[in-house]
Amino acid sequence: MNTSEYLPAMDRFGYKITARLTDAAECLPYDVSERLRAARVRAVDQRKWVLLQSASEVFSHTSAGSATAGHGNSHTAWWNRLGMAGLLLILVVGLIAINVIQDELGARELAEIDTAILTDDLPPAAYVDPGFAQFLKLGNRHGAVTPN
Amino acid sequence: MASPAELSDFLKSVEKRAFKRTVYHVRNDESALDIVQDSMMKLAEHYGHKPSDELPMLFQRILSNTTLDWFRRQKVKNTLFSPFSDFQSDAEDGDEFDLLESLSQAEVAPEFDNPQTTRERAQTLQAIEKEILLLPQRQREAFLMRYWEDMDVTETAAAMGCSTGSVKTHCSRAIHTLFQALTSKGIKL
Repeated sequence: MNTSEYLPAMDRFGYKITARLTDAAECLPYDVSERLRAARVRAVDQRKWVLLQSASEVFSHTSAGSATAGHGNSHTAWWNRLGMAGLLLILVVGLIAINVIQDELGARELAEIDTAILTDDLPPAAYVDPGFAQFLKLGNRHGAVTPN
Repeated sequence: MASPAELSDFLKSVEKRAFKRTVYHVRNDESALDIVQDSMMKLAEHYGHKPSDELPMLFQRILSNTTLDWFRRQKVKNTLFSPFSDFQSDAEDGDEFDLLESLSQAEVAPEFDNPQTTRERAQTLQAIEKEILLLPQRQREAFLMRYWEDMDVTETAAAMGCSTGSVKTHCSRAIHTLFQALTSKGIKL
């Protein structure tokens, strides 16, 4: 028998033996089969847990990356903050200016009224006289007399 | 990447052979179950991300290493506790592995068509298992990986951590031994 015939024959014999072993392995006791099944389920659960853990790690790394990216643009953040402060300052200055202008306009109106009263022919005390006030009312109603 | 379903299918396809192979090595059902379970957990935890076609090779390697670790632990344990074993009685010594007793309790495929055939098959299986148990460990490992797990020489060499030449030698010697032993008992396959 030469080598080329010998090797397949050896392999065939090996496979014949293991075929018998396979038959025996398929008939394991129930408790052994169940323990193997439980071990398999535990291993698959472990795999699922590893997958879940790696997914959560990826998520946390992504979040950390975003946070790091925020830190990386700190200059932009500072400019944003400076812009906001500038806008707030402009708003406050505007409100103060409006207040000052309103005060100025109110004072000017009062001054004009005072000027008109003081430069009128009638003395200011006449306006506090009840009879004169009644006279003005009646004069306005009939259109006959208009004080000037 | 192997999905959990693919991993489950793969483990289901190899778990019984892995158990029997480990029993042939460690000769203890409980230890074999522990080793197979540890191997499954290691595969799932550390190599589950590998493609499914790489799983058989990885699992055989893990199983071999876990079995080797078990032998190392046993060696350390025996070394540490050997002085105490001197005080044990002969009756306790009788609890050690008994090949004939183990073989007599071997499971037999249920075949009810022909009792004669069933008995002969059981006897043949017992003889085969007995001779496999008598093989040197490396020969047995190489033979079972090569012919039972249907791995080629290169894969077997990678799983065993040796050269392809060593695998061929181990397999050749194992088959010679088995052939001579079974032939001498009048068993023809």
